[in-house]
Amino acid sequence: MQGRARSRSTGRFLTLAAAMLVLAVLSQQPWAAGARGTAKSVLAPLEAQMMSIASSVDRATAIFGDIATLRAENQRLNGENQDLRRRLAELDAAAYDNKELRQALDFQRTFGHRTSVAEVIGRGPDAFSRTLQIDRGSADGVGAGMIVVSGAGLVGRVREVGPHGAIVQTLADPQSRANVFLSGSGLQGTIIGGPTALQLQLEHRVGSVASKGEWAITSGVGGGYPRGLVVGDVVSVTHSDAATIDSAFVDWGNDPAALSLVIVVLDFSPS
Amino acid sequence: MKFVAGALLMLVAALVQVTWASQLEIAAVFPNVVLIVVIALTWTQGARAGLLWGCAGGILLDLNAPGPLGPHAVALLCGAYVTGFWARNLDRESPLHPAGAVAVSTVLYSLVLIASDRVLRLPIPTFATAVQLTLAAALYHAALMPLALIAVRHATAGLHLEPAAP
Repeated sequence: MQGRARSRSTGRFLTLAAAMLVLAVLSQQPWAAGARGTAKSVLAPLEAQMMSIASSVDRATAIFGDIATLRAENQRLNGENQDLRRRLAELDAAAYDNKELRQALDFQRTFGHRTSVAEVIGRGPDAFSRTLQIDRGSADGVGAGMIVVSGAGLVGRVREVGPHGAIVQTLADPQSRANVFLSGSGLQGTIIGGPTALQLQLEHRVGSVASKGEWAITSGVGGGYPRGLVVGDVVSVTHSDAATIDSAFVDWGNDPAALSLVIVVLDFSPS
Repeated sequence: MKFVAGALLMLVAALVQVTWASQLEIAAVFPNVVLIVVIALTWTQGARAGLLWGCAGGILLDLNAPGPLGPHAVALLCGAYVTGFWARNLDRESPLHPAGAVAVSTVLYSLVLIASDRVLRLPIPTFATAVQLTLAAALYHAALMPLALIAVRHATAGLHLEPAAP
């Protein structure tokens, strides 16, 4: 009896697993991208509703105290703080980059770009893919590869697009990479996404050592991100004269669990 | 009726997963509500039901993840299959076994996701990051499993889902 049950469940397991593998292979084909994007947009309205219910629950619980007021105040102050931190980093960056160099590189500040504000309606289902789902898609001019920012700086990149929604791969995703320079020392390096602090691998330059508190700002090297976007501040540095690279940890300016609105840069195409 | 109730349960679990679950982050991991519900369903209703709902829940997660449709479904199927095997051969009443089953299923789930990303030539996390996230998630899920079992038993009783033969 138990043997029959086992063989039935094994048969069902093998059948379903095979069907899902076929689905994976088919849905990865370039010709299926449109259908896949449409399918992924199907849940977007429900997710937006869930987010809205979550906000309502938050508001309802505030009846037991001034939690909502304090939270709103805290958010406002956090927002102001992030804005000030971003401005400070930009001033540091401005001091580092001389005007002629910027003109030569035809450098444009983020604020000069065409943008679209999007609401975060969902988050990635597991810790391996730190992604966000937003409520703007191809119908709103959003395309794969576009840069996503917030008031606190760089958030990530649009990875997949449906008609009315898109999936954004954040910098916290372990698969994310971004080339940056440090605002004080000018050292260049690569940010690698991570579940806690972002890891930074820095070039080893004689006479220059990264220091705590420096700002990591996108360098534009590689063409993946525009130059000048704030990523975060350095919280620890590991330096060895014998090593070929230095490593550091960067405190990301954004908290993906707290992001509710993001800005999609519509007119930057990664090279 | 049974099918609709089960589908609704998985839909709610998936929506909770992609909207609220990240608020429960501890040590860089947050619980996978769908995985926990699938393992709890497998434990209480048997492997065949667990496989079916694992497949459905996996597709719902795939709809919210980057990449092709299917990898999360395969990962959940593996977890449900192992849990079904476990439940058939060990003491179903012990609270430690379901916790162990969900921990093992979490490890399998992570391995399948990483392997499928590799096969599909998608970028994968570093080994150290993957190990750290997987172990933390396994412990987290094991701690939540007793509560999940109570909740699923309540929900399935209210929805008139009868426990399946082992």
